[in-house]
Amino acid sequence: MTGLAERGMTMNERLLLGRSIETGSWVHKLDARSKITGMLLYVVVILLSRSWMAMALLAVFSVVVMASTRIPLKYFLKAAKPLRYLMLFIFIVQVVSVKEGAVWLSIGSWDLYEDGLRLGAFSVIRMFFLITFSALLTFTTTPGKLNQGLEGILSPFKRFGLSPDRITLMIDISLRFIPTILDESQIIMKAQASRGADLKELPLKEKGRMLVSLLVPVIASAFRRAQDLVYSMEARGFRMDAPRSRYHRPIWGGADTVFILMFVVMGVAVAWL
Amino acid sequence: MAIQLQQVSYTYADRSLWKQTALHDIDLSIPQGSIVGIAGATGSGKSTLLQLFNGILKPSAGTVSVLDVTLRAGEKSPRLLPLRRRVGLVFQFPEQQMFEETVEKDLCFGPLNFGMSPEDAKERARKAMLDMGLDLDLLERNPFKLSGGQMRKAAIASVLAMDPDIIVLDEPTATLDPISRTELISLLERLCREQGRTVVIVTHRMDELLPVADNWVVLKEGRTAFQGNASDLAKDPAILERCGLTVPQSLRYWRAVADRLGLEDEVPRLTAESLAELIASLRTEGKGLDGAGGKRDDHE
Repeated sequence: MTGLAERGMTMNERLLLGRSIETGSWVHKLDARSKITGMLLYVVVILLSRSWMAMALLAVFSVVVMASTRIPLKYFLKAAKPLRYLMLFIFIVQVVSVKEGAVWLSIGSWDLYEDGLRLGAFSVIRMFFLITFSALLTFTTTPGKLNQGLEGILSPFKRFGLSPDRITLMIDISLRFIPTILDESQIIMKAQASRGADLKELPLKEKGRMLVSLLVPVIASAFRRAQDLVYSMEARGFRMDAPRSRYHRPIWGGADTVFILMFVVMGVAVAWL
Repeated sequence: MAIQLQQVSYTYADRSLWKQTALHDIDLSIPQGSIVGIAGATGSGKSTLLQLFNGILKPSAGTVSVLDVTLRAGEKSPRLLPLRRRVGLVFQFPEQQMFEETVEKDLCFGPLNFGMSPEDAKERARKAMLDMGLDLDLLERNPFKLSGGQMRKAAIASVLAMDPDIIVLDEPTATLDPISRTELISLLERLCREQGRTVVIVTHRMDELLPVADNWVVLKEGRTAFQGNASDLAKDPAILERCGLTVPQSLRYWRAVADRLGLEDEVPRLTAESLAELIASLRTEGKGLDGAGGKRDDHE
């Protein structure tokens, strides 16, 4: 990791999740609403998979869909990497706690049960595919379109007093600010390093002080940006809850229906197996 | 040479999908005690170039030598703290990087990091304030209570307080008012001419720096498109247009006057005053205005 940092890796690159990778594949062109619905159905498919056969089918299906985005598979793997210890932990807990089925191995007073091993493996496989496959949503959809899709999905809840516009506006603005604030903190870190406070070269005691020297300007600038944003939105006539037209109109096409049906068929198939 | 770059390239996010090469094969040398202007359209690699000068970025290929420190691509870099004391880098919008509760503490931050005693640091802070033409009363103030221009100057002072041999500034005059701009440029000129420091300035306003800069570097899409002094630039200002920049007024006037009066071998006059003086001297000599003045030694 330090090697990467030395080659000048910026903070943005470490945040692989939430970054779209444009390849122009058929998945990229789908309506964000169908992709979100597809992901929800995928969760159901995962939960319905309860046998080795179902798991195998799930694996083949997932890999084929991921490959069809033309994004290198290693990027999906990278998305799951941060959670590898959690997966290991879940596996161990399952193996240790489930005491059913045939005993496969005995070490002293401890027995390894077949079911424990199987459930542990299933949990890890489910989690692995859940993370890698859901990365597909963010890899193939720009945050703006994703947000718009979310607004479409949430619109039925308007009747219950929920305001999808407000929720998506909040998400929109927060997403918009993440790279800006990261970039800014990086510039400030570089400026402080230029003034002799390099995080890499400082003793631990000084690192705390360094953090303060970073937080104050970053927070000050976040407030300044927020204020500027409010003014510029108002200056362009933005009013909350006022009806707005859309620049990109989502269009539900045949491919979207096929995409959804794929998951339905998968769900039925894994439930059978 | 204060700074020397040999075939330096820099690539952001190397080995990923977002890989982007910002600098290609840059060869550059900046002599000690000179003022160098760096120009180029947005995204031409100016800011990346500056960050190579004090080891904030390490070259992806090639060699960067600054003073007695050499950074080679692929090699482990030496300790950078001593280099950073001697190379003061002022980033864009430096006022947004202040964080202490008083201006004085902010100014002392650098000197203290470089192991100076608190008394010496305070002395440096005062000197830097005076250099920047700021009132010493401001030292006790909270930096966030200063005006925009004062904040900018105090932030530049916080780098000057480190007493660097090389001062590198990224668009220091942007967003400053015209008076502060000329003051800042003349201060930097004094630091160079009187104290022998090397000054490197990235600027979008070539006009204000043309009369004082010894050399210019013009970047285009991460490559050096031009390297030389103002006279070279005055011979062929069109190079700037090819790099996506507008030709500064002073160069345009000089070109027009020189072409009409045949002043090819003259040292370019790049301020309104010096150009007026030259034209006036030509008039009193009674020739030149007919276009047949031809070669002249100098104007008296």
